[in-house]
Amino acid sequence: MKKKRSLLTRLSESISGFFSHFINGDGITKASYVVMGLGCLLRKQLVRGFCYLLIQVLFIWYMLSTGINNIIGLKTLGVNAQGQVWDEVNQIYRYTKGDNSMLMLLFGVLAVFVVIGFLFIYAASVKNAYENEQLLKVNKTPSDFNADVKRMFNEKFHVTILTPPILMVFLFTLLPLVFMILIAFTNFDKNHQPPGNLFTWVGLENFSAALYNDPVKSHTFLSLFIWTLVWAVFATFLNYIFGMILAIMINKKGIRLKKFWRTIFVTTIAVPQFVSLMLMSKLLHDQGAINVLFKNLGWIEDFIPFLSDPFLAKVTVIVVNLWVGMPYTMLITSGILMNIPADLYESARIDGAGPVTQFLKITMPYMLFVTTPYLITQFIGNINNFNVIYLLSGGGPLSLNYFQAGNTDLLVTWLYKLTVNEQNYSMASTIGIIIFIICSFFTLVVFNKTSSAQKEEEFQ
Amino acid sequence: MKRILALCLTLVLLLSMLGGCSSNSGSTSSGDTIVLKVWGSQEDQVILGVMIESFKAAHPDKTFDISLGVVGESDAKSKYLEDPEAAADVFAFANDQLKDLVAAGALYEVTRNKDSIVAANIESSIAAATLDGKLYAYPMTADNGYFLYYDKSVFSEADIASLDKMLEVAGAANKKVFMDVSNGWYIASFFLGAGLRFADDGKIDWNNATGEAVGEYIKSFTANKAFLTGDDDILKSGFADGSIAAGVSGTWNAANIAEILGDNYGAAKLPTFSLNGVETQMGSFGGFKLIGVNSQTKYPVEAMDLAEWLTNEENQIYRFEERALGPSNIKAAESDAVKEDAALAALAAQAPYAVDQNNVPGTYWNPAEAFGTALESKDYSKSIADMLNELVTQSNSN
Repeated sequence: MKKKRSLLTRLSESISGFFSHFINGDGITKASYVVMGLGCLLRKQLVRGFCYLLIQVLFIWYMLSTGINNIIGLKTLGVNAQGQVWDEVNQIYRYTKGDNSMLMLLFGVLAVFVVIGFLFIYAASVKNAYENEQLLKVNKTPSDFNADVKRMFNEKFHVTILTPPILMVFLFTLLPLVFMILIAFTNFDKNHQPPGNLFTWVGLENFSAALYNDPVKSHTFLSLFIWTLVWAVFATFLNYIFGMILAIMINKKGIRLKKFWRTIFVTTIAVPQFVSLMLMSKLLHDQGAINVLFKNLGWIEDFIPFLSDPFLAKVTVIVVNLWVGMPYTMLITSGILMNIPADLYESARIDGAGPVTQFLKITMPYMLFVTTPYLITQFIGNINNFNVIYLLSGGGPLSLNYFQAGNTDLLVTWLYKLTVNEQNYSMASTIGIIIFIICSFFTLVVFNKTSSAQKEEEFQ
Repeated sequence: MKRILALCLTLVLLLSMLGGCSSNSGSTSSGDTIVLKVWGSQEDQVILGVMIESFKAAHPDKTFDISLGVVGESDAKSKYLEDPEAAADVFAFANDQLKDLVAAGALYEVTRNKDSIVAANIESSIAAATLDGKLYAYPMTADNGYFLYYDKSVFSEADIASLDKMLEVAGAANKKVFMDVSNGWYIASFFLGAGLRFADDGKIDWNNATGEAVGEYIKSFTANKAFLTGDDDILKSGFADGSIAAGVSGTWNAANIAEILGDNYGAAKLPTFSLNGVETQMGSFGGFKLIGVNSQTKYPVEAMDLAEWLTNEENQIYRFEERALGPSNIKAAESDAVKEDAALAALAAQAPYAVDQNNVPGTYWNPAEAFGTALESKDYSKSIADMLNELVTQSNSN
């Protein structure tokens, strides 16, 4: 909390400073509000002043040549659709290039980034000019370029070293992120596909369609959301409990060949997950190996619809996920189990506690304390568990109740289907944002409530 | 020293990232070379290569740089829409994607040599490449449909006239009749047979009395013990081990099945099914594979010439010879070799009951598959009427 306040106060200070410096400053300082770097050029900081001036000139040139158009384009996302002109000689239409909404959105966002970046440098230059004025008033000379460079390698080395990565983060992470979030507020789908067609802003229409407005889509969203949560709960806790039981069993005194059992279970990790999942999907198919085997043995008359019955498919994906995921929990928990001090159990035994009481009073609290953050990550990971669902059931069996989705589809696989099969990018982006909100809500609320976060110091 | 090293490292990182960005735009073509990209299916790569070479030979006055990419006809639309400007200049696609591609402004309207193209190809193939009176693609093959394969040792000519008779015979012989009902493409056969259609705007109204009767029939069909569903592999392995006696599929399996069945290989139009007690001919989707020209192409004239070349009479015959794909070119289709092909003959016999796929909306396939899946897995929790209502709602929500 302390940090947040200081950032806010710093921001408000620099804004109020921006205005007060104009009022308090002398002529040169005032002039450097119009011509950047004047307060440096005229006050013995030639190189620095020149840099400010260059930045201003470049910025003005950029804004006049494309920047302003880009920002205006951001408002409309293009007005000229692709046109056609008849070419008599070749007997074809020549298509004239229309506006490309996607590029306009991208460059518009870039232009906004450039403007914001420029404003920061502008504010810095103004502050710089005022500081120089104050220094000269007390007969100190502002630092020259050589001193600046030296400082960049000594007390301000962190600035030098961190500037390139931060620029990269803005360019390659933040810019695409903003771009993709903005797509959620457009109608970018297969009927509005650039460069042949334009797309435009539709405000919150996609959100209202997903949440309540469009009966078909909102019903799908709600049903898939509930299933996603059910899946995440089962996938997380069953893995956790069964993995732990497995670890305890192997850890028990008197169990022989401990290493052998551990290795056996861990070998499922050695096979790449997607291979085992796709193999499972083949095995469990209606005419797959398992059904054929059962039929030949005479156990069943008709095939068991492991992956084609809505309810059974849900059970199947949870069980197969259990098989895939249990060894991981086993590995993690056996390490922690071995760490629980043996004297705790010993004294419990002396006090007359049975194995169940020992488990509930010693093992469980200890385990939960250590692994709650792990559980939360697993839960969030399972909400977005694309691999298991996509490779095992492909979201199927398809449902007549859902819009382009199947009974075992998670929100994230539905998002994939909407993007890849339907080219409904705006809807997919909307769902992506909603998933993010859900995940961050769970993470923040639950994590802050855990004892691991609240009693960090108490950990023995 | 350490600090300078650290700075150098970040700079190298920065430069390498920027370098990675700029290297893309490095290879721009020089003036006169005409650079074209062609997409075709994996199986067609070799013959497309030959056709492209002959195209180059036929146009010695121009320098071409034509590259081939693997994108199957069924994936063309989604691959194209990923990035139209990076998509191929000339690409093959199935005609059910025409509507979406035109809506996305993807296809170059065909106006060059239009009259001769229209005259050279069968009428239905031109209709399948036309939308709102404008021709958008070049017909390449006319075999994207399905019909009946059967084992002559199990069924007589009379048996294969009626689906119910077939189920009876197959059931008695403890064999199966194969049809992938959990697939919008095949399940439509019953609805189309009953005269139910897609409206011009892609909407359907199958939730009426006729639709219900069709649904009830499909239900009884899938519940029959002689019924089997699955994919191409199941069909082929079933014919091979003798468990399947008849199956609904398309020409792409012809060579395999003919080889498996040998002298007992038979192909015919689809049978009839009983609708409210009346024997009704099963319909089908009659699809065409088309070649389209990307509206974003830099060389429209050359791209169109190439597309026309890939679909001319000579190359359609070549395509039939190499890949046994049925030609849409009238003269090519009339050759004796084509007429003697049992699978293509069966397809031709089915053709009068075939419906083109131009009006089928993209939203139809998944709910139709769900409809079939529910019946196949004998999930009768909902009435046929309710299921049809949902099918119609989902398919119409576009």
